Amino acid sequence: MSFSSFRYLLREGLRNIWQNRFMSVASIGVLVSCLLLTGGSYLIFENINHIFSWVNRQNIAVAFAREDCTDEQLQVLTDKIKGITNVCGVEFISREQAFEKYKDAIPEALREELEGENNPYLDTFIIEFSDLSKFEDSIYQIKQIPEIESMVYDANIAKSLAKVRSIVLIASGWVIALLLFVSLFIIANTIKLTVYNRRLEISIMKSVGATDAFIRVPFIIEGMVLGIISGLLSYGLVYLLYSRLYGMFGIGFMGGLLDFSSVWHVILSGFLGIGMLTGIAGSAISVGRYLNVEGGISGVI
Amino acid sequence: MIEFKGVHKTYDNGNIALKDVSIVINKGEFVFIVGASGAGKSTLLKLLMREEVPTAGEIIVNGFKLSKLKKREIPYLRRTMGVVFQDFRLINSMTVFDNVAFAMRVIGASNVEIRKRVPYILGLVGLHHKARSYPKELSGGEQQRVGLARALVNNPSIIIADEPTGNIDPELSHEILELLTEINRRGTTVLMVTHQIDLVRRFHHRVIKIEEGCVVSDQKAVPACPVKSNIEAAAVDIAGIFPFEEGEHYEF
Repeated sequence: MSFSSFRYLLREGLRNIWQNRFMSVASIGVLVSCLLLTGGSYLIFENINHIFSWVNRQNIAVAFAREDCTDEQLQVLTDKIKGITNVCGVEFISREQAFEKYKDAIPEALREELEGENNPYLDTFIIEFSDLSKFEDSIYQIKQIPEIESMVYDANIAKSLAKVRSIVLIASGWVIALLLFVSLFIIANTIKLTVYNRRLEISIMKSVGATDAFIRVPFIIEGMVLGIISGLLSYGLVYLLYSRLYGMFGIGFMGGLLDFSSVWHVILSGFLGIGMLTGIAGSAISVGRYLNVEGGISGVI
Repeated sequence: MIEFKGVHKTYDNGNIALKDVSIVINKGEFVFIVGASGAGKSTLLKLLMREEVPTAGEIIVNGFKLSKLKKREIPYLRRTMGVVFQDFRLINSMTVFDNVAFAMRVIGASNVEIRKRVPYILGLVGLHHKARSYPKELSGGEQQRVGLARALVNNPSIIIADEPTGNIDPELSHEILELLTEINRRGTTVLMVTHQIDLVRRFHHRVIKIEEGCVVSDQKAVPACPVKSNIEAAAVDIAGIFPFEEGEHYEF
């Protein structure tokens, strides 16, 4: 394609948008709404992940070693716990350290008696996990180690968060799919209107031997530009709304909200990508159907 | 060259449009296609432009075998022909220049080529001074000349004119026919569908008459003789040169 042709087709695509401006604005409006909801779902999902990792950091299990474990066995035990895939941190607290740490909680009268050989504390491991959804499996694996006497943990937070996350993931997946379908439908109808308005030109183009690909290009450009405008607008709106939310709840709440700077590139490229693809697909559907089924040279006007 | 070999066309609704049509139109000929409404003229043109495919038979246009033509090859067939429509089909938001240039742009011509070729073609149809006018500012005859310029601008070897004088008054119709004849004289094959018998009689070209889907007569062109008046033209008719029966009417 020559540079003149490319410039001409680009100009025609932009002219389509202007000439059909009311439908263009309507399409952008619908696509922006869809993208905002898509972006909103994504941000909720990412924030749940963010809270999840915060809870991960808070959520620990405590394992007690058997009383008769030797120092060597304790070393082996530490390595065994560290060797479990989901374990990301192990802190060892010896009986003596535990006694030192908690002796203030023991009545003074008993303190002397319990010191030394009668120390009631056991050698303890404080264990952190990297993936809370595998929390129970990991606990089970640790319990299987013979040197472990008992464990203390709370699986409830992990369980409920994992549940919320999977519900949000499934629900947002469906919402996004549905909204994309609606956007595609709206864009396809906008382009259909443009095609209908330009059927005279299309019939002339066909009669002088323009290829179908050439006829399609301005409409594809129209859809693509509508998608880009929608993507940029949506990004701006999401940025403004999220900044306000961050100002209100950003710090202090369950580890705080996710910082926008860590997701801006995903949102911008996602919005532009989804916008452009929806625009291109919508145009391709409409103009393709017109060229294959309805549009001829004679008798179209 | 255009060749129809035993062409049949039946539409999906069962309507038989053409029956066993065999015609050969050589390069450089001027042919009138005449016939009443519904006779099959439009189908003939649609088949030529490969908007429709024949139910049986073969059509060859400028070396393209139309029944075997792939969809992607159709534009290249159409680039060998220029089409003139009864309703002009001009884009009102474009100037005369842009209307003609449009036909070049859509086949990928560069701006340099367009700036060179369009004024030349507008000069050929006598409209170089109207290049910046809009279609609504032109008379019917002038609008059709723009349509003709657009059909000619890509230098086709065949001009297909579908009732090009149907929407303009008789005097201007004569001008359009003279223009088409001049274009034909320069070597372009012209195929013109018309209802206007008086024009057919005045211009002594080959006439193919279609009735109920069949070619009922194919009258070769007679050597041009200068027609000086309507009386002389009538005398030519009476001599029975053209294949019309007395009292025969066509729709206008």
